[in-house]
Amino acid sequence: MFTVDVWLLRAIIAIFLIAIVSAIMGSYSVFRGSTFMVSGIAHGALAGAALGIFLALYFFHANYLLVALIFSILFALGIAYASHKKENVDVATGVMFALSMSIAILFLSLIREYASVAWGLIVGDLLLLSESDIEIMLVSVFAIVLLFLIFHRRILFSIFDPDGALSVGIHPWLYESLLFVMIAIGVVVLLKGVGAILVYALLIIPAAASKRLASSVASSMLLSFIIALGAGLGGIFLSIYTAISPSAYAGLIATGIYFLTMFKR
Amino acid sequence: MLIEVENLSVKYDDSVALQDINFKLEHPSLLVIMGPNGAGKTTLLKALLGLVDYQGRVKIFGKDPEEARGTMGYMPQRDRVNTGIPLRVKDVVLMPLLSRYYFGLKREDVESAKEALARVNMLSYWNRNFSALSGGEQQRVFLARVLAQNSKILILDEPFSATDVSTKMKMAKILHELKKEKTIIIVTHDVNPLVECTDKLLLLRKKIIAYGNVMDVLNEENMERLYGVKVPIIRKENVCYVLGSDVHVHR
Repeated sequence: MFTVDVWLLRAIIAIFLIAIVSAIMGSYSVFRGSTFMVSGIAHGALAGAALGIFLALYFFHANYLLVALIFSILFALGIAYASHKKENVDVATGVMFALSMSIAILFLSLIREYASVAWGLIVGDLLLLSESDIEIMLVSVFAIVLLFLIFHRRILFSIFDPDGALSVGIHPWLYESLLFVMIAIGVVVLLKGVGAILVYALLIIPAAASKRLASSVASSMLLSFIIALGAGLGGIFLSIYTAISPSAYAGLIATGIYFLTMFKR
Repeated sequence: MLIEVENLSVKYDDSVALQDINFKLEHPSLLVIMGPNGAGKTTLLKALLGLVDYQGRVKIFGKDPEEARGTMGYMPQRDRVNTGIPLRVKDVVLMPLLSRYYFGLKREDVESAKEALARVNMLSYWNRNFSALSGGEQQRVFLARVLAQNSKILILDEPFSATDVSTKMKMAKILHELKKEKTIIIVTHDVNPLVECTDKLLLLRKKIIAYGNVMDVLNEENMERLYGVKVPIIRKENVCYVLGSDVHVHR
């Protein structure tokens, strides 16, 4: 009984953290129009996780989620560099996506019976989070919030009007790179909880729905937080009564809310 | 002398965007830059702002463009901004001012933003959604954003695009007043609203086709060299007209 409560508590904490990430990074991904990158990074993190497990098996102990985080940040920086070189972000994401998945399959083939751990990141499970998972999520979300508080004005200027930002001495590529790195961190926060496939459901859908309703950046982010939190908590409680993955319910609730916003005039 | 440009050339990879540009401009004055698409007009503005790598010499108040950025306010082309962000008008106008520091809001910045919006008759739009405004209203908000920066030099890239005649005339009137104290450099395809207050006209097609006073530069020969087609111009004493439009130039 006690054990069940701990898992539930961790799941609720995770959803709260995920909702914060959705409010900040989800909103900025939607504002920037970089939603495909979120999906790309999520799948790319699988390669990092597979590499982490491979290293742990044959060389030294490495937390595979941390390796996934590092891998995702490199992924994001690769896209930022390509964008700086005038490459389309979606094309750059596609290239990095292909590279990451090739690496993922390579390492998954090498780790064989442990591959299921890495594959677990594809679907995720909020009710199976460990204490160290929560710790990594807490540190990551703290980093995102801190970076956001310090740099949000310059990031917003850079993605709204890059030429205007540069004209006052703000280098848009620098802040765009920072934004991409923050998105990568946010994606990994969600990965263990909801999986690579449903990252989109809790990172992008609440932000996309709230943008349709909001009149300002702040209200858009607040609404995104509420939608992600509601979808996540709803998913957990429905899961307890039906023994079906909470991610599935959370994704359905979030997309349901998005469809409802389409009725807004 | 405010702006001195000598032997300015800009290349993007292997293609020449600007070649051997030379001109000088005094302060305060209003310079209009005209030319066909791809003529290097925006590149010239970016070179003045120090936003592109260039060869040659550019001096703003005797300083390099990078050092002189604080004296210049830039209004970009409207279609180069991301209107997918739910910003309010005040957010757009305050953006360059607030990006100078990380936290909080200075009262003088809010006052500058409100004054600038009032100057373009948009103060009542303070809390309105920027994306929901018409093209002309958005242009006026961008003009207010430049004014709020209180720069000595205003660099405006196609400020009249997507604006109706009424908005053009209102903006031209504001610019006419501003040029008494500021130097304004404008890229536009439509010189009509500005002819009465333009001090210098620069016709650009990667190279300078002509540069000087409007009445000296705006003639059929130069316009054909600029656009590659005949652009009829009718002259009457101290006024000239471009046939097919309401362009008129007072001597």
